[in-house]
Amino acid sequence: MRNIIFCLFGLLCSILLSGCQQTADQGPVYKIGYMNCNSEQETRLRFAPLTRYLSEKVGVRFEMVPVDTQDFEDRFKKEEFAFTHTNSLLYLILRQDHDLQLVATEKRGQFGARTAGTIISRKDSGIRTLADLKGKRMIFGPQLAPSGYLAQYDLMLKAGIDPETDLSYYAIPHGSFKHEKLIYAVYFGAYDVAAAPALDLEVMTREGKISADDFQIVAQSPIFPYCTFGAAKGVDPDLVKRFREALVSLTPEDTVDYNGEQVKVLKSAWVDGFEQLLDSDYDILRGMAKRANMPPYQEF
Amino acid sequence: MSRLLQDHFDRWHVLVLLLAVFGAAALLLTAGGGGDAAARSELNRQLEQDVAYRARIDFLQDLYRPVLDLEKSGARQQALLKLEEISRRYPGEGYGFIIKGRILLQLDAVEEAVANYVDGVRLNGDFADRQGPFSAWNEINQLVSRQLPSFSERARTHPDNATLKRVLSNLHYLQSRLAGGCE
Repeated sequence: MRNIIFCLFGLLCSILLSGCQQTADQGPVYKIGYMNCNSEQETRLRFAPLTRYLSEKVGVRFEMVPVDTQDFEDRFKKEEFAFTHTNSLLYLILRQDHDLQLVATEKRGQFGARTAGTIISRKDSGIRTLADLKGKRMIFGPQLAPSGYLAQYDLMLKAGIDPETDLSYYAIPHGSFKHEKLIYAVYFGAYDVAAAPALDLEVMTREGKISADDFQIVAQSPIFPYCTFGAAKGVDPDLVKRFREALVSLTPEDTVDYNGEQVKVLKSAWVDGFEQLLDSDYDILRGMAKRANMPPYQEF
Repeated sequence: MSRLLQDHFDRWHVLVLLLAVFGAAALLLTAGGGGDAAARSELNRQLEQDVAYRARIDFLQDLYRPVLDLEKSGARQQALLKLEEISRRYPGEGYGFIIKGRILLQLDAVEEAVANYVDGVRLNGDFADRQGPFSAWNEINQLVSRQLPSFSERARTHPDNATLKRVLSNLHYLQSRLAGGCE
């Protein structure tokens, strides 16, 4: 009888001890705020596998939180995101106002971890130079889009054209965050010129949606960093280091189990990889934001 | 003799014998010219290789001419888009990588330019030769000379930066190939 009691006691102890083991599933939850791209649903589909992968690779629990671009700074303050994934202009704003740390920059397309803004017209429009833009109708992407608004606005200012007075009309219509729509708006003649991200032109050409011969690239901005992962200033430096390493070491072959399927993490996120840029690499974008009187340097 | 040929069975034997004699003679004659035939075959192979090489040069020059024309006129982004269209049909063509590397360098996308030159040279070492119709030796040499000191210094001051390490490693690869080194 004594032996049986002894065995049962041992079994109970081992069960209790196994319950005390700390696993990633039971640790603290770290929120990653993801800037919405085309829609919240699309953002979730793209980045949920990456978030799962990061949890497994880094060994802590991450939760993805999709956030609208305009709301990002407020929600960053309120919801205490440990990490952020935003466009490079939002990174500058959060860096300037909240000491966000640079973690890694997303690679996508021909410029890798960088991107550019272009101004395009239809090939047969006769609009070939920036000077030709005067008196024309132009469509822009949303104001906080670095390659869909800021870069083009800055290009025009540098060429002595004030978009506020020198265009006959300009618009940032509903849905303009879907940059593809801007390109089609010029293609089908609704506007004379568009502020098109170079990446969207590239992707649409690759997919056969447009031809390089359809458009005239009137001007192109210098290249600047693309979408960026950042870390809040209070986050454990070792966690930031592991998070960065997990991103930078990601290859196109890496998969994660998601909804019962092995999903390729980078492909799912529409990303080619991640690079480790320096904060000084973002100075070119800072210059653009200052010249265009945009956040975080906006003055009234 | 004529009596011999009257027999049906004998006639058949004579015919078979004659065929054997002519066959052997033909074999002897053709065996004597075997060396010439092998040489001719080797010459043909060489000719075919030369024709294929020339045709490839002409084809690639024709294929990429619109891209090169756009690049020369300063329409670099347009040239990149044209290149994108061509790469849909010929995704693994090394010359495309070399042209892309050159255009990206002009647009200050140094890291990506270096990576494209590396891809091109890995696919075809001729690009890193001093001679040849598609020699990119000079431009790769200039790239390495200009960028290597800068990336070496940045990698030294940021030893944990994986991106700088990768670019540096690519530059060293190009440097080695320019010097004639193998992988």
